[in-house]
Amino acid sequence: MLLTGIGGQGVQLCAKALALAAVDEGRQAMLSAHYGGEMRGGQTEASVVVADRDLRALTILPSAWSAFVMHHEYWPPVKARLRPGGVVVTNSTLVSAPDLAYDSGQVIEVPAGAIATELGAPMSAGFVLLGAYGTATGLVATESLIEAMRRLVPPYRTQHVAANEAALRAGAAAVDAECAPAWAQPAGRPG
Amino acid sequence: MATALMQGSDAVAEACVAAGCRFFAGYPMLPFTDLLESMSRRLPEVGGTCINVESEIEGVNMVLGAAAAGARAATGSCGQGIALMQEAIAEAALNEVPFVVFNMARGQQDYFQCTRGGGWGDYRTITLAPKDVGEAVEHTQLLFHLADQYRAPVILYGDYLVAHTYMSVDVSPRQYGPLPPKDWALDGSRGGTGKSRQIWTWAMGKANDPGPGPDAHWRRLAEKFDSIAGQEMRHESYLADDAEYLVVSFGTAGPFVDYVVDELRAEGMRIGSFRPISLWPFPERALAAAASAARKVLVYEVNAGQMIDDVRLSIAGRCPVQFIGGVSIDGSGMRQGDLLEVGSIRQRVLAAVRQEDER
Repeated sequence: MLLTGIGGQGVQLCAKALALAAVDEGRQAMLSAHYGGEMRGGQTEASVVVADRDLRALTILPSAWSAFVMHHEYWPPVKARLRPGGVVVTNSTLVSAPDLAYDSGQVIEVPAGAIATELGAPMSAGFVLLGAYGTATGLVATESLIEAMRRLVPPYRTQHVAANEAALRAGAAAVDAECAPAWAQPAGRPG
Repeated sequence: MATALMQGSDAVAEACVAAGCRFFAGYPMLPFTDLLESMSRRLPEVGGTCINVESEIEGVNMVLGAAAAGARAATGSCGQGIALMQEAIAEAALNEVPFVVFNMARGQQDYFQCTRGGGWGDYRTITLAPKDVGEAVEHTQLLFHLADQYRAPVILYGDYLVAHTYMSVDVSPRQYGPLPPKDWALDGSRGGTGKSRQIWTWAMGKANDPGPGPDAHWRRLAEKFDSIAGQEMRHESYLADDAEYLVVSFGTAGPFVDYVVDELRAEGMRIGSFRPISLWPFPERALAAAASAARKVLVYEVNAGQMIDDVRLSIAGRCPVQFIGGVSIDGSGMRQGDLLEVGSIRQRVLAAVRQEDER
């Protein structure tokens, strides 16, 4: 899975929560992060590989099955690496399916920004999208994501835990369960 | 022990703690900073000391002091900061003080720095270059052992991908067998007796307790480094036995090369790979053996061509050696650039193969 966005959207935290949740469920995981020193507004990208057996993957993925799109700015290099038949879960508040121009796979639109704003926590849009991703793919359970998020939020940010949990649940409720199943994929080559 | 998802820097810090490292001093510099932060959290919890020093020179000399007193100690930086440590590393090699230097490098341009060093004198530094976080954890523990075994400073050559990638790893302590006692450590027990111990690059001793002097001392050290070279070569080769083309790479570039080898094997090419795990001592005999069926040896490293010198020395003219790497730095300056990708490696391998076929 490739996650892309701009600095400040919580992409890195979402990637960590996903990898940690997968490991907590007994999977193996690898997470590579790529972000600039400038942080806010700059490029932020992460890749997460989850395996049900020994994980062998490159730290810079040559290709990926799915993408998590919070913002369009750095989408083209992500799109270039998606395999045919891939799955894109996109924050349609900012990036709708036509913006992505991705026609070789499945696009799942989740108005993550709008849902987070309705919840009164616009900062938690990333977790809305992550909850949706987890449920749509069945890669990890929402409860595991919530638990991982709790452990990752630093002590000086614990006031956001409740909103993040609500965001994860709202995202999960916004999509059909396993409409793009991760584990049904045939076992391909690693990476 | 169950594995846990950890960032590479945290995993290496855990491995340091597992290996008994109790003193760490360094100056923040990306991508090394995460290791320093992690050590600053972990060492106080186990009764150790971590110091954020004023400069790399101060850090390495503090570590030299702690190690001279018998502690397991380490420092680190990226190549730019380790440049400042060269004098102390050379002194430690020549006065036989063991510690570990973590080079969380910004790329692969520190091969010469690690394997040749920038200090004076006849010294070498054992350098291990892990391919991923799992190997970095293993190498970290092994390096503390090797440092003590040979009484010498040693280097872990990691990079951004080792420091920043999260992987599920096992950081439980590993056993590497018994070590000689540190009966040379400066413990203060002989103060005032006229027989206090010395750690001195010139090994001249005192008027009432003369040492061997520089000539005998440095000849013995040269023999020691020769003997290390004979015993500590490490490597990994992949599908090399019948390979007409052998691609040599090191560190985190290795898995990328193996991926390309798999792709090209599936397309019918007889190609294999070789990765020195110890950059010094360079596994020259193993490389010569791995290349025995090769028409051409290709060297892929993300720099202007440094390891290729060791490859040429190992191959000794038995077949052509061609450089297919290059300089490639990410816009941030903190990591390798686009050249470290499967597509560009594949392209360069195929170009070199075509050249050979056209010959």
